[in-house]
Amino acid sequence: MWLVPALAGAQEAKPADVLVSRQLAESEGLAVGSVIRLSTDAAGTRAREFRIAGIYEPTPDPARLGQVPRSVRLHLPDLLEMTRPVDVPAGAEYVSSVNVALVDPKDADQFAKDVNARLPGVLALPAGEAAGSAGPFRVLERFHLAIAVVTIIAATVFLLALSIMLVDERRETVGVLRLIGLPVHRILVQILLEGLLVAGVGAIFGLILAVLSEQLINQFFQWRYDTALVFVRITRDVALTCVAIAVPLGASATVVASWALLRRGGLRLARR
Amino acid sequence: MNAIGFAWRSLVRQPARAALGILGVAAVGALLFDMLLLSRGLIVSMQDLLDRGGWDVRVSAGELPGSGLRIADAVNTAEEISKLPSVQAALVMRSATAQIDRASGQPLRASFQGVTTRSTDPAASRLRAPWTILRGRDAEAPDEVVIDEKIASESRLEPGGEVTMRASCVADLEALPATRLKVVGVAEFPFQTTNESTTGGTLDALKAACGGNVGAEADLILVTSKGDADGTAAAIRTLRPEVRAATNTEVVGRLQQTGFTYFRQISTVLTTVTVSFAVLLITVLLTVSVNQRLGEIAALRALGFSRMRVVKDVLSESALIVGIGGLLSLPLGLLLASGLDRILKGMPGIPVALHFFVFERQALAVHIGLLMATAIIAALYPMRIVSTLPIAATLRDEVIG
Repeated sequence: MWLVPALAGAQEAKPADVLVSRQLAESEGLAVGSVIRLSTDAAGTRAREFRIAGIYEPTPDPARLGQVPRSVRLHLPDLLEMTRPVDVPAGAEYVSSVNVALVDPKDADQFAKDVNARLPGVLALPAGEAAGSAGPFRVLERFHLAIAVVTIIAATVFLLALSIMLVDERRETVGVLRLIGLPVHRILVQILLEGLLVAGVGAIFGLILAVLSEQLINQFFQWRYDTALVFVRITRDVALTCVAIAVPLGASATVVASWALLRRGGLRLARR
Repeated sequence: MNAIGFAWRSLVRQPARAALGILGVAAVGALLFDMLLLSRGLIVSMQDLLDRGGWDVRVSAGELPGSGLRIADAVNTAEEISKLPSVQAALVMRSATAQIDRASGQPLRASFQGVTTRSTDPAASRLRAPWTILRGRDAEAPDEVVIDEKIASESRLEPGGEVTMRASCVADLEALPATRLKVVGVAEFPFQTTNESTTGGTLDALKAACGGNVGAEADLILVTSKGDADGTAAAIRTLRPEVRAATNTEVVGRLQQTGFTYFRQISTVLTTVTVSFAVLLITVLLTVSVNQRLGEIAALRALGFSRMRVVKDVLSESALIVGIGGLLSLPLGLLLASGLDRILKGMPGIPVALHFFVFERQALAVHIGLLMATAIIAALYPMRIVSTLPIAATLRDEVIG
């Protein structure tokens, strides 16, 4: 659809109402009440006048990230009137899709089956299945998960290296504890508790950092793409998953790193 | 013994921590390398796809080819374009949805690409349709088609066989009589997506399959210039202002501004995070390692090692960890890239031949540069510790401790 320059003195008596997107209104300086002319081609043939009844914020669409939504919402009869080929009678036009709101959304599956059985050539899908199993966001979810797994592996390796170093630093202390009579499992429990405490504090610190950066990341990308889309959302499930991975991993790394040390004799550890 | 040799001995003396440090760098480096391959992968891959076949200007009705809008009066438009002095040939491309009947089971749903070439240049005879023949030959007659590997395997068809097809050029709901077409070749279609099947033939074959109900519209006109693609695109825009003519580079540029932005952004973000992560962790590893060896370093200083020499030792240790880890990260990164590429290619509408991760020398150079910077930055703090180490006080503390 083309927005064509208005002609002086050519106003229709009562132009039909349209809504324009915030981005289009801002870029073209449009306001509620303005009369605009819309055409289906750049030459402005069969252009019609419309009155802007409102300015709307488009529903954020991740599939159109980076594209500024310069859109206009017309009543369907107005749109069909403008786009119908000359040789097509009114009422014989095609529409790409029909959205149906059911009284009970739980009936979506059965309703789709009924429509598919009764109307050959029409494909009805419950809204949840419309994106398909390979929808772009499910694929991105898998991609992000793969990146997260690699990051966790790298972090685990580093954590293990650090734990080995830190445990090594406490070699003499552990040796003395062994010499005064503490059994290996008692020291191991102490190390495990320390590991849990450090990993827990680290996980909480990480979550606080994530919550603080969530706002910054969203603000930056919303500004960058001129969209109301939410890019990062730290939900309760995400936070719990992070803690469930980080705390056992941190504690395990400490215990694994300590195990080699604890197998040695007390005298050797204390370097006596 | 030089600094590198000395640093190597320090690492070998504690093999477990050295191996873990190197493995950590390898894992982080692999991720970093992949993000660098991702940052331009789609652009390089798309440019390669567009350049295949030698068609260097694309004419469409919408802002980007494949937008769904069709060029009106396409064959005459191509005829006029082909007469421009800078044009070697113009190829009209029209696609339709089709159903291929099978002996058993549901019919196969496919797209049918019909093409016709217009040219006044004898050299244009070498130009082919925008698909690559794998077996058999290209379709030339109105009753011939080429099919892709998916149709060939699912319908058990090979060159010499026949397909029964119901194509629909106007709307999906048309009920058309079936047409029998000869399969003369199996081809690879560059923009075919993973979940679709494609057949190709002449525009006359498409007309036959659609029962003559095609109209004068086309999805795309591909143009080969005589060398000046930019000038040809400008000449086409002047000749036909209602169509959009863009060189392959311009098409990639437009895609770069819209569809590919997400992957560039995520690549930048993850590159930054990965490098910061690597710097932080190697700094901690080196700092803890240096702190554990303060007495040893002070003793070396007392024996006559210069301040610069012990600083070089720390830097060499950092360079060895990052260097060996970085080397390991290359095969690891390529392996990881192929896995991530397979995941991302699961997206609907992505051509089979398009890749998200593409190796480039430039990416390798940036990777090496970033790892070198990581090795130096990570060593700064531990280098400061050893350079300001008070020899006598450290040795006394070691003895008392």
